[in-house]
Amino acid sequence: MEPLVLPGTLDALSLIRQFVREAAGQAGLAQQAAYDLQLAVDEIATNIVTHGYEESGIGGDIRVEVDLNSERLAITLEDSAPAFDPRGLITAAARLLDAPLSERPIGGLGIFLTEQKMDGFEYEYRQGHNRNRFIMRRPGGKGLAP
Amino acid sequence: MAFNVILEMKGTEAHLTLSGELDAASAGVLKGTVEQAAGNNPAKLVMHMQDLSFMASAGLRVLIFAKQKMGEKVGITLIGCQAPVRSTLEMSGFHHSVYLQDAE
Repeated sequence: MEPLVLPGTLDALSLIRQFVREAAGQAGLAQQAAYDLQLAVDEIATNIVTHGYEESGIGGDIRVEVDLNSERLAITLEDSAPAFDPRGLITAAARLLDAPLSERPIGGLGIFLTEQKMDGFEYEYRQGHNRNRFIMRRPGGKGLAP
Repeated sequence: MAFNVILEMKGTEAHLTLSGELDAASAGVLKGTVEQAAGNNPAKLVMHMQDLSFMASAGLRVLIFAKQKMGEKVGITLIGCQAPVRSTLEMSGFHHSVYLQDAE
């Protein structure tokens, strides 16, 4: 599939999910796995738009790339917002899961949802771009070769 | 699929019927409807979830908002959540704070 490039606004979210849905279909992922992938990508994309672009007052694109081999499907989100490694928030969010609803903090939850159900989640900052990579094993796939 | 929500008061119960996909772009619509429902001081909030096919954490945050806005005494019941939505609620511990009910 050709990469998808969209302006980094909240309107991009549904188009990104649709794109991921198609990729998951091509990869033959089970329904729940396909949903989990959509959710994970959606959460990180939301973070890029709201924290990466809107809060820092800069605009930019989100590029979505599909990389499919016989073992796994990998989706990469790339943006030019300030460097942000979401993995640091995951442990913090996990610790708050038992708090009563009315005492929940606002942030972190989406990122927690991201890593829980992925077979792999990677982050790197390279040449002025954040790269978040989501990996799901294909049915019958044995390993997670990069 | 575009998100939609309908509010209906049934006695002292506020009923919300959700459909489509609830993400960060559409969560504001739900938040506004919850505020509107809260204005009626309901004793209970019932959310009909059968036709909601996707819910991001932005949707979870509206549930937190509803609880804070209406107060601890107002129970929140979610009816007929689709399996992946239910899984998100359970994974993030929300099933301890709202009632999850199967579809009628």
